Amino acid sequence: MVKGVEAAGIPVVHMCTVTPISMTVGANRIVPTIAIPHPLGNPALEPEEEYKLRRGLVEKALVALQTEVEDQTIFE
Amino acid sequence: MRRLELGHINITDIQFGSESKIENGVLYVDEEAVKAIVLEDERIKDCKLDIAKPGESVRITPVKDVIEPRVKVEGRGGIFPGVISKVDTVGEGKTYALKGMAVVTAGKIVGFQEGIIDMTGPGADYTPFSKLNNLVVVCEPVEGIKQHDYEPAVRFAGFRVAVYLGELARELTPDKVEVFETYGIMEGAEKLPGLPRVAYVQMLQSQGLLHDTYVYGVDAKKTLSTIMTPTEIMDGAIVSGNCVSACDKNPTYVHLNNGVVHDLFEEHGKTINFVCQIITNENVYLADKQRSSDWTAKLCRLLDLDGIVLSQEGFGNPDTDLIMNCKKIEAEGVKTVIITDEYAGRDGKSQSLADADVAADAVITGGNANQVIVLPKLDKVIGTLDYVNTIAGGNEHSLREDGTIEVEIQAITGATNETGFGYLSAR
Repeated sequence: MVKGVEAAGIPVVHMCTVTPISMTVGANRIVPTIAIPHPLGNPALEPEEEYKLRRGLVEKALVALQTEVEDQTIFE
Repeated sequence: MRRLELGHINITDIQFGSESKIENGVLYVDEEAVKAIVLEDERIKDCKLDIAKPGESVRITPVKDVIEPRVKVEGRGGIFPGVISKVDTVGEGKTYALKGMAVVTAGKIVGFQEGIIDMTGPGADYTPFSKLNNLVVVCEPVEGIKQHDYEPAVRFAGFRVAVYLGELARELTPDKVEVFETYGIMEGAEKLPGLPRVAYVQMLQSQGLLHDTYVYGVDAKKTLSTIMTPTEIMDGAIVSGNCVSACDKNPTYVHLNNGVVHDLFEEHGKTINFVCQIITNENVYLADKQRSSDWTAKLCRLLDLDGIVLSQEGFGNPDTDLIMNCKKIEAEGVKTVIITDEYAGRDGKSQSLADADVAADAVITGGNANQVIVLPKLDKVIGTLDYVNTIAGGNEHSLREDGTIEVEIQAITGATNETGFGYLSAR
């Protein structure tokens, strides 16, 4: 899906836990996430802490989306 | 040197009887005694026992685990150390196994749980468990129990029953005895000079959420990659806690009888020096995947190995663990063969694995789990067909009005097993 959408001219940030697979399939902007069963959250955290974590991930993805990249890039 | 004698007690039939015993290859089972063992756990409300024999028109589903009964006759520890027996290092001395039979635990645990064992028809060809006399334990949970509490209840119930039945063989004379000998690192190098040093690297399913494996009772997701003597598994050092996608999870029976270990022993001292077994996990955090594969590669180097056989358990994100292990071990100069299976779509034309690398240049496949099969209606169902449509590999149309079932072979217990346990082969 990442490649299909980018082929249509729209940049994509792939947020995922297993970044090596994202690299293999050819995503250009990659944001690492928390864990496979809960990529964009962490049930071990208190709700307020988890909200901060989630917002931080989305903000990082938005920065990645606006960043010019030459090669496949992981935004740590 | 460490030595394990594995005695085979051949079981040709199972019957219910007033007393549990083994006579002339027939296992007689006291139903009430076995039920009492299952119901020791207050999380289990009721259980039913049934017997399924090869060739009978019987379907067992949903299957939780398959277990071969064994008994420790001589040597340290007992069967299923850290789980049923006390923690003690196993793999030495004398063990008897009830061959030709298994304890199968069944019943609902989660909505999409494994698996199907057909005792006849085309489905039977895909699961080696159709060739066994199976004592099936169908458990029913107490009301209101959570799935993650009930899963261990059924898991332990199966082990207790298997240990109880194995105990019946303690005083018997085995029909056949296999001997497995392993050496210390220096000892092996001295005794078998010139032979390539080979180990088995086994990846254990540890994604959590009822995809779990236990080593001496420890949840594998909480372990670091480590070394075992390959005979330890024959006493039940590794057990299954899986509930999902039956085709390529290792039931406890497969851990006890791991074909890779047995085949490497077959060549030990002839064409290879089978140095040891290395176990590693398949966790859901990227850092864990990186750490565990770093450790397997480090251990392979430390042991001065020439080659390894690497088996996966499950599919999807563990494909990354597989490729990480393969790349890093090959990078240490250790030749690597991987054993996996494929999710290549129903037509077999899609990419087989979620991850790939040029280092994975020697690959053995257990088959395409997406392959579709139509299972005929069978006369008897042990368990329930209620979950056939939601099982992994099934869909809302799987169970047809005429009683036939159309599913992917991933629904069949052991169909694409990644230790070579199944019957699939290439034309």
